[in-house]
Amino acid sequence: MKLELNVLNIKDVQFSEKTDIINGVLYINRREIQELLQQDKRLSKVEIELAHPGESCRILQVSDVIEPRARIGANDTDFPGVLSKHITVGAGNTCALRGVAIVINDQNAVSGPSHDPKGNIIDMSGPGAELSPYAKTHNVVVLPYAADGVSPNDYKVAIKLAGLKAAVYLAKAGKDLKPDEVEVYDLPSLPKVSNSMEHLPKVAYIFQAYCTSFPAIQGEPILYGDSLRRLVPTLVHPNEILDGALVNPYQGMGMETYAIQNHPLIKALYQKHGKELCFVGVVITVSQYTEPERERSAAIAANLAKSILGADGVILTKSSSGAPDVDVAQTAQMCEELGVRAVLIMWGMSQDGGADSSVVFSFPKVDAMVSTGSPLRQVSLPAMKRLIGRPVTLPNGAPASSEFNLRLLWISGAVGQLGNSKLVSVQY
Amino acid sequence: MVSQGLRVVHYLNQFFGGLGGEEKAHIGPQLREGFVGPGKVLHDAVKGRGEVVATIICGDNYFAERTEEAVQQILQMVTPCRPDILIAGPAFNAGRYGIACGELCKAVQDRLGIPAATGMYEENPGVDLYRREVYIVKTAESVRGMPDIISQMVALVLKLVDKKKIGRPAEEGYFPRGIARDESSDMNAAERAIAMVLAKIKGAPFESEIESPKFDKVKPAPPVKDMASATIALATDGGLVRRGNPEKLDPRGATWLRSYNVKGLKALNPEDFACHHSGFDTVFVSQDPNRLVPVDVMRDLENEGVIGKLHDKVCATAGVAASLSNAKKVGESLAEQLKAEGVDGVILTST
Amino acid sequence: MTPVAIMVGSNRIVPGSGVIHPVGNVDLGSNEEKNLRRTIVQKAIEALHTELKEQTVFPRPSV
Repeated sequence: MKLELNVLNIKDVQFSEKTDIINGVLYINRREIQELLQQDKRLSKVEIELAHPGESCRILQVSDVIEPRARIGANDTDFPGVLSKHITVGAGNTCALRGVAIVINDQNAVSGPSHDPKGNIIDMSGPGAELSPYAKTHNVVVLPYAADGVSPNDYKVAIKLAGLKAAVYLAKAGKDLKPDEVEVYDLPSLPKVSNSMEHLPKVAYIFQAYCTSFPAIQGEPILYGDSLRRLVPTLVHPNEILDGALVNPYQGMGMETYAIQNHPLIKALYQKHGKELCFVGVVITVSQYTEPERERSAAIAANLAKSILGADGVILTKSSSGAPDVDVAQTAQMCEELGVRAVLIMWGMSQDGGADSSVVFSFPKVDAMVSTGSPLRQVSLPAMKRLIGRPVTLPNGAPASSEFNLRLLWISGAVGQLGNSKLVSVQY
Repeated sequence: MVSQGLRVVHYLNQFFGGLGGEEKAHIGPQLREGFVGPGKVLHDAVKGRGEVVATIICGDNYFAERTEEAVQQILQMVTPCRPDILIAGPAFNAGRYGIACGELCKAVQDRLGIPAATGMYEENPGVDLYRREVYIVKTAESVRGMPDIISQMVALVLKLVDKKKIGRPAEEGYFPRGIARDESSDMNAAERAIAMVLAKIKGAPFESEIESPKFDKVKPAPPVKDMASATIALATDGGLVRRGNPEKLDPRGATWLRSYNVKGLKALNPEDFACHHSGFDTVFVSQDPNRLVPVDVMRDLENEGVIGKLHDKVCATAGVAASLSNAKKVGESLAEQLKAEGVDGVILTST
Repeated sequence: MTPVAIMVGSNRIVPGSGVIHPVGNVDLGSNEEKNLRRTIVQKAIEALHTELKEQTVFPRPSV
């Protein structure tokens, strides 16, 4: 499959009378996008706010971040199974607005065991901004409010759809424009993929996209619109992941749809394809919460990598934490037992900087792990002038725009599990 | 300004101190002026920055049999020397010596506030006991390479004196102290993972950024002999709480234990009990807490005479992202508590 | 999380019925669920009663 992302570099976003892109500036007709999103009867209203890099601004209760994308020459085929009919994506041309992000605000979001009402945050300046890739994008914040009588479950689905619709609406403004750059992702099918690369090591990616130990959200669209509660490990083309087949689950800690659309590991594998390695494919899995299910899923995934993709090595990533860690480690162990070398991208979960018990598993052959920085490490965030989101108060009574300490985990994009993090957890 | 005239005190056991072998291991601490035996290497290594002003020699058995007393005696001897640095050993693979070196280094750090370092072989029991608190340089099993070991120890303590940043364990030659710090890299995690997998495929060496923990083997306890008259307790790390969590159980970290009275209860009632745990979907256990802590079935088995008695107390903690040391502490205190209460066996349910 | 129990060195291990309900199963009716719970607990009692030299996993009979 060959995917070409027509990238338009956007350097500013402003409200205006007409939604358009002129000289690298994205203009948004605020009323038009609001009316579009308010068509969903599960929502009483949708507010739109803009936040720019460098602003003294804090966005609260971030539920997901999405890059504006619209497929070119194929109407109504964006986010298939969710917004559009079921078709295969990942081939052809898609317009991408680079430097802009849709940020979905969830009025009910809470984070962590203490149900912190601030939820995930993005600071647009200061130390928090240095830690998040979403402080560097011009953010179009979508704030949906639930209509009367709408269940929390349905609200969560509605806000996801609102964010995706906004992403498509904005990108459509760029469909006919000449791109600033074109990113090409071209990977043939298995029989041809290693042509003229037979001497290179074959590397596959096992992508645990969802964790089933957390409450199910009925109707939550994840893979081509399916909610993935039960998934037998299967193969997908990496382009499908880049082009809207996969949407970040509600509980996807350490992941956003934006990170999936710009998947750091898939991009890096593509960059090195034909040079240091042969990228043979992607296995997609969900983490299971019973022992027999986990063993079955791990065994099937490992064998797909070994006997179908013919991988010499695999890299594994996970979604959320806890049981998913054991799941991904077990899959790695089974790969190693089949002779496929495995590396995990893993969160070290120590709370106090102690390196001794940062992971909960100890499989004999799982000995190669890359870190992302410590998700539970506390960082100090200064006060911000402007707040976007539900204005909650801190335990000490101060507003959420004040200074406070926060675990890295709750800063959107800071310790991404898909490989974008430049933080390393170093043992001393 | 780099301080000079640093006063170094060296600790040696009876053997390295030249007093004799095992037959002299009972000797108490003795103070000697200047360096003794291998202390010459140390003295040469600190030239230009300081000198070995005194050496303490102590028998390994003396130290092992009355540790705190020995530490205090040694501190009393050492304090008038006005030491700026303590170097202990190196102890190589000698276990009692290693423990003495570790304990003494820790004591001078904590009580005298001066930097210290020692050296041991990786299997020396002193390593696991002290590496988190004391810089222990890695040595071979046998007594060799003294100059290199001493210079590594000296380099470490001088950095501590000069308040310079200590490098990574592999660079500076010490056992990892169990601390994890976040640093920036030029490569993102994806690129580092690709580099690591390519190294692994090639069979080239690589360094994992995270290590799996190593756990000790515990000898299995003898079985409960007479089940029909035994008292069996239920415990859990799944975050069982009384409704409203009045005992304020922390939903993660296994920070402490809580006990709930289940005397006379036929089952756990969802109106009285709930689940407070941040690591999984607690909805099903909150609907029916017996799905986590099976009081109902245990009560049936008690009534049927299969077990003698269900213990009156159920103990709970919430084990999310718990540090090994917390988990150990909670486990040990649970075991002590239940033993004192006359319990013969425990069923621990875990998510 | 049986692999965790094995790795940390637990000596008597009985696999439960899932992370979110270690001794339960919401897919069963309440009588069947209680029977399942009883089977797992009985296996645990058997484990307590068994002399061991080393770590042992006591699989329960499939329900």
